[in-house]
Amino acid sequence: MRILLVEDDALLGDGLQAGLAQQGFAVDWTRDGVAAQLAIESADYSAIVLDLGLPRLSGLAILQRLRAAGNAVPVLILTARDAVEDRVKGLDAGADDYMVKPFDLHELSARLRALIRRSRGKAEPRLRIAGIELDPAARQVSFKGKPLELSAREFALLHQLMLNAGRVLSREQLSERLYAWGDEIESNAIDVHIHHLRRKLAPQLIQTVRGVGYLMPRQEHE
Amino acid sequence: MNERGFSLKRRLLVTLLATISIVWLAAAAYSYFDSRHEISELLDAHLAQSASLIVSQTGDGLAEIDLEHAPQLHERGRRVAFQIWEQGKVLRMHSVNAPQQRLSARDDGFSDAVVDGKGWRVFSAWDGGRRYLVQVGERDETRREIAAAVAANLLVPLVLALPALGLFAWLSIVRTFAPLSHVSRELQERRPDNLAPLSTGGVPLEVAPLVASLNALFARVVRLIENERRFTADAAHELRTPLAALKTQAQVALDATADVERRHALDNVVAGCNRAARLVEQMLTLSRLEPDQFRGRSEPFDLPALARQTIAELAPGALAKGIDIEFEEGGSVALKGYPDLIGILMRNLIDNAVRYSDRGSTVHVRATTIDGNAELTVTDQGPGIPAPERAKVGQRFYRVLGTGESGSGLGLSIVNRIAELHGAKVSLGEAAQGRGLEVRILFPAHA
Repeated sequence: MRILLVEDDALLGDGLQAGLAQQGFAVDWTRDGVAAQLAIESADYSAIVLDLGLPRLSGLAILQRLRAAGNAVPVLILTARDAVEDRVKGLDAGADDYMVKPFDLHELSARLRALIRRSRGKAEPRLRIAGIELDPAARQVSFKGKPLELSAREFALLHQLMLNAGRVLSREQLSERLYAWGDEIESNAIDVHIHHLRRKLAPQLIQTVRGVGYLMPRQEHE
Repeated sequence: MNERGFSLKRRLLVTLLATISIVWLAAAAYSYFDSRHEISELLDAHLAQSASLIVSQTGDGLAEIDLEHAPQLHERGRRVAFQIWEQGKVLRMHSVNAPQQRLSARDDGFSDAVVDGKGWRVFSAWDGGRRYLVQVGERDETRREIAAAVAANLLVPLVLALPALGLFAWLSIVRTFAPLSHVSRELQERRPDNLAPLSTGGVPLEVAPLVASLNALFARVVRLIENERRFTADAAHELRTPLAALKTQAQVALDATADVERRHALDNVVAGCNRAARLVEQMLTLSRLEPDQFRGRSEPFDLPALARQTIAELAPGALAKGIDIEFEEGGSVALKGYPDLIGILMRNLIDNAVRYSDRGSTVHVRATTIDGNAELTVTDQGPGIPAPERAKVGQRFYRVLGTGESGSGLGLSIVNRIAELHGAKVSLGEAAQGRGLEVRILFPAHA
């Protein structure tokens, strides 16, 4: 789950990047509005955490451009401005949620998960496909009722496949959603993780579309 | 004035009534003495008249009388008595109320005498043949009674009129003081948070300055409270981000599984605490410098000496960052002010300069004299401040964004306030080399 963090305060940005990574997010951190704009244009984010008082380009301006361009990515505003009119302005400009500093890291993560879940049209926080049950908040997976031990990357990969069940995801799309800038990626990393997942689950649950990518078939009856 | 204060109304009423009473009493006393004099003259004339009537009646007939008691015809006749003495020695005739001995030793004209302990006014006259001495007398008491009655006639109205006067005076005083009472009632009934100015309509000339002063005071209090409120709001707002950073870093440390990760987060917690502490420190410094709260004693100080001292304090930190501080001195001017505050001003300026300087650069501090005025300049080789932002950086909590530094946003506000307290002028400019910020503070020599 790759998210963009736009925060100009060094200490807070550093903490958020580390904290959200602990919660299983891949975090890209930019410290000004223009860099954020570039990041949004170059990558596909599951959600954006946006500060309002930013150098070069304000958070509200970024938000307005984003929505004007038809980008529906969930945006959570994180700001020191707590006046009701500020919240109204932020939400009306296209934000999906609004949190006032200081906030709780776990609440922020939970809200991000909820935003991402809703952006995919799902109300149930747990994902269930073909006997696999994935709980994004608890970061637990079980298969046919038995808990499964997965690494952080394997979990993130399975999460992506389940969220996009029925759709083919390319290796590039997957690695973009799993890895933040600066993460070291082996060229065949995705293939290796897929291989491990198939071994831990059942081989037929993740299908390969040769030359395109991977797919987890949607099971309509579930 | 005693501590409990006094009532203007009561004082006015008492003064008014006392004055009226004194004037009136003086008038009564004057009337008493004046009427006594007039009455004396009148009654003396009557005495003389009576005596001459009696003298004209004396004749040989008296010789046959042994002693005759003249009848009293009217009750009031008692007040006047007469005696007829043959040869001045033998009493031949007298009124009932006259004593047996002579009324007066004098045998001619007016005299005052005391008979049996009673005072008499007497007129004496001889008949034509100097055979009979006629003495007509009147009791002094009688005369005094008449004068007293005249004076009493004046006093009675006063006694009756005084309460009425007092009542009317009180009513008119109350009416006159109504605007003042109105103002004081308006103040009394005010809620403590109501600092709106009092209305000045219909306020008499004497009360207008009071109302104007009160309104000026209200305005000042409003400004002070507004300032305070804004400062508190700003401060709370500014503490949010450092607190959020602290909390996030602390939560990261709690959730960390690797030691390196935990250590990094905890280091950041410490750094965050330092930053928050510095922010609070700066806010306190600034709040102490609020114009209505600052009470300091001005004393002479030496600008170059203070600069040297401040640089000595800050140099180790700067050197650790790989930044040199250079000091240049050009003459000294006697200055007066608050040396502690000048120290804070310099620390803020030099600290800022070091903060925004790159490793290997130099911060230049200069204390010189220009046209007899003292000037302090601090120049760095950092990014400088773009001209459009220079006016804003002195505002509270304003930060130039994107500098990568997490200052309090208060440094230049503090510098501005301290300069203002010294009547000094602060100007921001570009350093001579075309890169970096130059802050110039011009102190007037007599400050």
